[in-house]
Amino acid sequence: MTIKAYWRLDPTAEPGRAEPSAWAETLARNVRPISINRFDHYAQIARAAALTGFDGLFIQHRSDGDDSQIIAAAVARSAPKLGLVPEFPASVGSAVYAAKQAVTFQRAVHDRLGWAIAPDGDADARAAIADPVLEADLRARTEEFLHVARGVHGSQPFDFQGRFFEVKGGGFEQPLAGAAFPRVFLRGEQEDSLALSARHADVHLFALQPVEALRAKIEDLDRLALAAGRNVEFGISATLAARETAEDLQHTPAADIAGTYDLVAAQLAELAAAGIGHFVLSASPSLEETYRVGQFVLPRLRAHQPTLRAAA
Amino acid sequence: MAIDFYWRLPTHGDHATIRRGSLDRGDWSPLAPGNQTPGLTADGEEDGYRYIDHLAEIAKAAEISGFIGGLIPSFPTTDDPWVISPLLARETKSFRFMIAFQPGFLNPVQAARLSASLQRATGGRTVFNIITGGGGPSQLWWGDSFSHDDRYGRTSEFLDVFKGVWKDPGFTYDGRFYSVRNGGLAPLLGAEDIPEIWFSGSSDAALQSAARHADYYLSWLEPYDQLQDKFARVKERTAQLGGEQKCAIRVDLVARPTEEEAWRDIRIGFENVTDETRARWRGQPTDSVGAARQAALRPTEAKRWDELVVGKNLWGGFNLLRGGPALGIVGSYEQCAEQLDELIRRGADAFILAGTPHLEEAYRVGEEVLPLLGRAATAGLLQAAE
Ligand SMILES: Cc1cc2nc3c(=O)[nH]c(=O)nc-3n(C[C@H](O)[C@H](O)[C@H](O)COP(=O)(O)O)c2cc1C
Repeated sequence: MTIKAYWRLDPTAEPGRAEPSAWAETLARNVRPISINRFDHYAQIARAAALTGFDGLFIQHRSDGDDSQIIAAAVARSAPKLGLVPEFPASVGSAVYAAKQAVTFQRAVHDRLGWAIAPDGDADARAAIADPVLEADLRARTEEFLHVARGVHGSQPFDFQGRFFEVKGGGFEQPLAGAAFPRVFLRGEQEDSLALSARHADVHLFALQPVEALRAKIEDLDRLALAAGRNVEFGISATLAARETAEDLQHTPAADIAGTYDLVAAQLAELAAAGIGHFVLSASPSLEETYRVGQFVLPRLRAHQPTLRAAA
Repeated sequence: MAIDFYWRLPTHGDHATIRRGSLDRGDWSPLAPGNQTPGLTADGEEDGYRYIDHLAEIAKAAEISGFIGGLIPSFPTTDDPWVISPLLARETKSFRFMIAFQPGFLNPVQAARLSASLQRATGGRTVFNIITGGGGPSQLWWGDSFSHDDRYGRTSEFLDVFKGVWKDPGFTYDGRFYSVRNGGLAPLLGAEDIPEIWFSGSSDAALQSAARHADYYLSWLEPYDQLQDKFARVKERTAQLGGEQKCAIRVDLVARPTEEEAWRDIRIGFENVTDETRARWRGQPTDSVGAARQAALRPTEAKRWDELVVGKNLWGGFNLLRGGPALGIVGSYEQCAEQLDELIRRGADAFILAGTPHLEEAYRVGEEVLPLLGRAATAGLLQAAE
């Protein structure tokens, strides 16, 4: 399996960067238009990821930041080959409408869209966003959301009467019917998350953990997916601190995986050997680290691939 | 007083000429030689462009030729305005994206976050055309089973919440359709302006909701006396609530150097209408009061193009030539400008214009018609002064 690498963009990281409100009073003459803001910076990060060998940009859901789907569309035409995976919770609204929006996105960007479904917030967070669904029903809502979105996308006429969504005579006509459904990324470590992924995910993302624990979960999910007649791929998301020398590392912030370029690449390769095909990576500051990881870590990781294939 | 003129982005394909529905732009008709964007190479392969590339051209044409922005419609068969707008944000400078959307389809707090983000992505160029749905099978297609008046109730509450979380960091609301506890946008997002709200719908429920929330009350073109009366009522109702209601008209033009050329294009267009097109527009079920008023012109039953001339420079068969409402303006550049002047006199404060093909006609109307506006009034004043 070829490795897919995604850079993870956190819209709330480095909050002052590229925002006019954070411009310093200085002697330097300032001719920047105040229309410059983080959207210019997001586009730079997207292009940086594209230029340095990443396959996609994974855009985190942050309720106190710019919306991931707006960011994805706003940068899409600046980075013409990059995959775009906005993350959002199933509370965003109608599943039919989400599917409709995905169709336009896919048509416009040659099928580069993925959907990462974010976990729902706690009761207070949900009350603050006018989400009436109770804790016990959240997973069922996510499941219906994906079922209905795929349903209207895949067949016509699609009828469904559920607890959260209802459709009659749904489904897209040509030319809207031709677009690919976005690749669905789900996450979670518990048994019920794995069961949901078996039915609905294209890629299941794990948190970084010891390889043995990961292997066991991969086996579980593989078995569940097989029973559901589906194929699910596996990924991890991890923060990195990668440096040229061990000494350089003393000055870096803590990260899930820290080490020299060679060491970080070797650790990622070990995960790849355990069955991980999708790597959602991040480090701060985002733009500079995109270049660093893209230039120094990804080639080393990909260089491990022939041995990975032999091992498989 | 300056008048805002918007153009329109056709989100379900475009025709290359008003004379023939069959020569298309976009993939709503089968890709074939002569159809464009996406198109075929000489070898019959897809050329790699997508319909969005054509929409980008139209948005830029509208921007260059003096339109403030464009309406982006939303129906089951169209591409989606919430996606088109951010896709084109970085390629346009001043073009305002007027997003048509049904509030019921998005969570209101999420909609506020989306909107504030889009404001940031565009430098404040987001405008809304709040639509509340035409009912019938199409409403269930969208996954919405609410009745006509409940939909307007929901729209009103949606806008309460949408504006509430935007302005008030500790917003709490307890409604029939939505409740919020301690909601609010992050400061960076809440600092943006709330998008201007345009509101359409001709029923009583629509007018009530508009009076509370709309910056502009938007109508298709209707016979002038009827429209003037409707605008007067809307303005009156909002005035009673202590506000001031602006009104806007959405209308297509066929503007040509001479009136004769304009009607000639209408005649040829009418003669090329197929029975299939007539059947498609005949009796689509809807509970929309506005749509029923357009259908009342009964264009699908006309035998001759001139049966549909319903007033000076007014033709009631546009829906036969392209998707959309029936009534539109036909005439020389001067006559078109006079009609728009007349509508301004009768209460219009803004317009959404369109013409087929949308790219070339944006330039034509922007260059030939808009500069003539207000001339008649000025001429009259000068005469009176002499
Ligand atoms: C100028 C204008 C543009 C409209 N655009 C749309 C649209 O893009 N999508 C849609 O579903 N309805 C659209 N509508 C329909 C209305 O918003 C509304 O849903 C319909 O007229 C039903 O309301 P009524 O019974 O109050 O007239 C539009 C209406 C007007 C007047």
